[in-house]
Amino acid sequence: MKTLALIMAGGANKNLSVLTQVRAEAALPFGGKFRIVDFALSNCSNSEIYSVGVLTQYMPRSLNDHIGVGKPWELDRTRGGVRLLQPYLGPGITGWEKGTADAVRRNMDYVDEQRADAVLILGGNHVYKMDHRTMLRYHQEVNADVTIGIRSVNPFETHRFGIVTTDANMRVLNFQEKPKRSRETVASMGIYVFKTDVLRRHLKKYPSHLDFGRDVLPAMIAQGKRVFAYKYEGYWANVGTLQAYWEANMALLAETPALDMYDPNWVIHTPSEEQPPVKVGANAHVENNLLSNGAIVDGVAEHSVLSSGVYIAEGATVRNSIIMHDCKIGAGTVIDRAIIDKNTIIGENAHIGFGDNLVPNKDIPDVLNTGLTVVGKSVHIPAGIKIGRNVVIEPHTSDKRFKNKEIPSGDTVR
Amino acid sequence: MRVVAMIMAGGAGTRLTALSDNRAKPAVPFAGKFRIIDFTLSNCVNSGIFNVAILTQYKPHSLNEHIGIGKPWDLDRQHGGVHLLHPYQGKAQEDWYKGTANAIAQNIDYIRRTQADTVLILSGDHIYAMDYREMLDFHYQTQADLTLAVRNVPLEETDRFGIMTVDDAMQVRDFHEKPKDRDKGTLASMGVYIFKTDVLIERLLEDSPETPRIDFGSHVIPSMIPRDKVMAFLFDGYWVDVGTVQSYWETNLELTNPMPPLNLYNPDWVIHTRSQERPPVKIDPQGRVQQSLLSNGCVIRGTVEHSVLSPGVYVSPGAVVRDSIILNDTWIGPGATVDRTIIDTNVVVGGGAVIGYGDDNTANHHMPDKLNTGINVIGEECVIPMGTRLGRNVLISAGSAETDFPDSDIPSGETINPT
Repeated sequence: MKTLALIMAGGANKNLSVLTQVRAEAALPFGGKFRIVDFALSNCSNSEIYSVGVLTQYMPRSLNDHIGVGKPWELDRTRGGVRLLQPYLGPGITGWEKGTADAVRRNMDYVDEQRADAVLILGGNHVYKMDHRTMLRYHQEVNADVTIGIRSVNPFETHRFGIVTTDANMRVLNFQEKPKRSRETVASMGIYVFKTDVLRRHLKKYPSHLDFGRDVLPAMIAQGKRVFAYKYEGYWANVGTLQAYWEANMALLAETPALDMYDPNWVIHTPSEEQPPVKVGANAHVENNLLSNGAIVDGVAEHSVLSSGVYIAEGATVRNSIIMHDCKIGAGTVIDRAIIDKNTIIGENAHIGFGDNLVPNKDIPDVLNTGLTVVGKSVHIPAGIKIGRNVVIEPHTSDKRFKNKEIPSGDTVR
Repeated sequence: MRVVAMIMAGGAGTRLTALSDNRAKPAVPFAGKFRIIDFTLSNCVNSGIFNVAILTQYKPHSLNEHIGIGKPWDLDRQHGGVHLLHPYQGKAQEDWYKGTANAIAQNIDYIRRTQADTVLILSGDHIYAMDYREMLDFHYQTQADLTLAVRNVPLEETDRFGIMTVDDAMQVRDFHEKPKDRDKGTLASMGVYIFKTDVLIERLLEDSPETPRIDFGSHVIPSMIPRDKVMAFLFDGYWVDVGTVQSYWETNLELTNPMPPLNLYNPDWVIHTRSQERPPVKIDPQGRVQQSLLSNGCVIRGTVEHSVLSPGVYVSPGAVVRDSIILNDTWIGPGATVDRTIIDTNVVVGGGAVIGYGDDNTANHHMPDKLNTGINVIGEECVIPMGTRLGRNVLISAGSAETDFPDSDIPSGETINPT
C-alpha cells in the first residue's frame, strides 16, 4: 500500500509567545540540536514512507531552510521525496488556507500526483517516535475509511484535545473537539490515515469543511463511514504551551529519559551543525545537561539544555533553562528557569528569572504564568539588568530599550 | 587556471602504533569528531578547489567510508569533485605505489583527463588551516615550475625535516633532507607542492634506475632545483604533523586550552566532516567535566578532566578519565580510571580497571622508539577485563580480547598481541 504523508506545519501557535513569533512551530528547536519537525520527518523515513508533503503557511522561511531538499531524512529522491507546499494563488484559488482540511484540499493535485492509496496526516509540531507501519497495517486490516491515532491524556487536559469515544472493536462512535468537560481520556493525536479516494471525495463534496478535527471527522462518523481508532502507546511529548515545551526539554535530562535518542534503529535525523565538539573550560561546572556541538561552557551549567554555539562565560550560571543557538552569556550573570531564543546576547552580572513573584504575565496571562522567563530571538540584554518571572522580552529588543535596571515579574519588554 | 589537488593518503603511519593497525593515518580521528584528512580536504574546498583526488593504498576502508561521495565537503559534483585513486593492475607499470612521486606518476592519465594546468600535491596527515590561493597566486606571479610551501622550524629540529636554502627572492637554491649540520637555515618543507602540470609529468617520466623519480623529497625536487624555477612560499600559520603518539596526544589536548592556536570556530574556515547523527552530549547529575572536548553522543556519568572524547563515548558512574583521548563509542566501566591514555574506537574498559598508573616510564619493549613518553595506547575493539591495571607506555593491539591478558597487572612497557 503506497502511502503519502502530509505534515501540517502551517499553523501559528500563540501559546508559545515569542518562540513562534519568528518561526513556524515545526521549526522550533528542541533537545538542543533538533527542530520539532525532525520527529515527524524521521518517523516518516524510518517507517519507509518516502513521499512527504510539508504544508506550510505561517513564517515558513527557517523551516524551509532547515528541510532543504530533505537530505538528512533521506528524502532527497527522484521519485517522491519531500515537497514544501506553500499556499499559492490561481484561477479559483484565493486567499490563505483556513484550516488543516482546507490546506489539504488546496493541495489535492499534489496528492493525486503521488498516486498513493493512503494519505497519512501528521502534525509537524509533535514530538514523538512512531513506526507508522503498524498503524497503516491496522488501517488496511480493518478496511477503515479513516483511522484516527489516539492516546491517553491527562484527565485535566481533555479540553485541549479532540476526545474520542470508541466501541469494543475500536470503531469510533464520537469525536468531540476540545470539550469543556469530558469523562473520556482518550484523545486524537492529530494523526489520521485516510483512504485517498474517501479523502478526495469528502473534501470536494464539503467545501465548507476547513478543519479535520472540527468538521471532517465528526461528519464522517455521523455518515456512518468506517472510522476506526488506533491506540498509540509510545513516547509523545506535548510541546504546545511554554510550560509543556520547557518540561519536555527538561525531561530529556533524566537518567533514563522517556525519549531514547540513542536507538540506532530509530535515529532522529537532522542537519549537522558543522560545529566543533562541546568545549568545557578548566573552571567550568557542568551537571545534568544536554550540550550540543559548538557550545562552550566556561561557567556553570546545571540541569539545562544548550544548543550549538552557546557561550557561557566564566562566572556565569545557567540553571533549569533552555538556551538556543549562538547565545552568549556574560560573566557573573545568573539565568534560572528561562527559555532564551537564538542569537541573544546577555551582558555581565545580569539576573534573568529572579525572585519568587509568580504573577502571570500582564499581557498574556493565559500563555505565560508558570514562572518561566522567555527571551525572544536576537535580543541584547545590557549588563546588570534584573528580570523577574513570567517576563517576555520581544525579539530584536536592543539594550537601549531597557530603561530600568529591574524588570518586575509579569512585565513585557519590547 | 585549472587546479587539481592530489592528496597523498596511502601511508601507514606506523609511528601511531595501534591507531593505524586498521586504518590509514589520514583516517585517524582527531579533535573528537574529525578525522585528520578533514583539514586538508576542508582547506581545498575552502580555497575554492573542487577537483580533488585522494591516493590511497594502506588499509583504505575506513578512509573510503568516511569520504563516501564527498558530500560533507561539497565534493559530490558532476564536474570535478572527489576521486579515490587506489592502485590497480594494468598492462604497463601499474602496481603498488612505491613512493610519493611514483604514486602520482601512476596517475598521470587521471591528471591529463582533468585538463588541469596546475597540480597541487598535499599530504593527508597534517593538521593546519591554509588558504592555498595565496600560494597559487605566488606560484603564478613568479612563473615557477614548482613552488614548495615552507615554514620556519626551531633550529634544534632541523634534522627532522627537508630544509630549503633560498635566496632573497625566495628561489630555492639547495635542498637538504634531514641535515645533521645546523647551518642550512630553518625553512622546512611542509609537503605542499604546486607544479606546472607539464613540468611535473616530464620530470616523473624521467624515472629510470639511474635517475629514480620515486619520491618527491629524495628524487624529484633535488633534480629540479638546478634546472627548473623552484620557489619557496612561506607559511606562518599553525601546522602540526601528528605522526607520533606524543604529538598526536599533545595536539589533541592543546585544543582544550582556552585559546588554542588551532581555531575550530572560524565561520569563514569551517572544518567539514561527516556528521555522526548523534544526540547532544548528555551530562548526568553525577557527571563532572573540566577542561575537555566532548562530541555529540557522549554520555558522561563520571568524571572527565583535560581530555578529548569522540562521539558516543560512555563514561560510567565513578569512572575517571584524565589527560586522555577516547575515540568513538568506547565504553568506560564503573569506577575505572583512565590516565594519559589514547583509547581507540569501540573499546570496552571493564569496571574498576586502572589504565595508566605509576611513574615507571620504561619505554615500550616492542616499539621503544614509538611509545616512550608515558602514554598508553589501546587499539580498537579491545576488551579490557575488569580490574586490569596498566602501567605506562603499554600497547594493546587492536582486537585484543579478555583472554589475551595473561595477568591483571600489565607493567609499564608491555605489549598485548604484538604485531
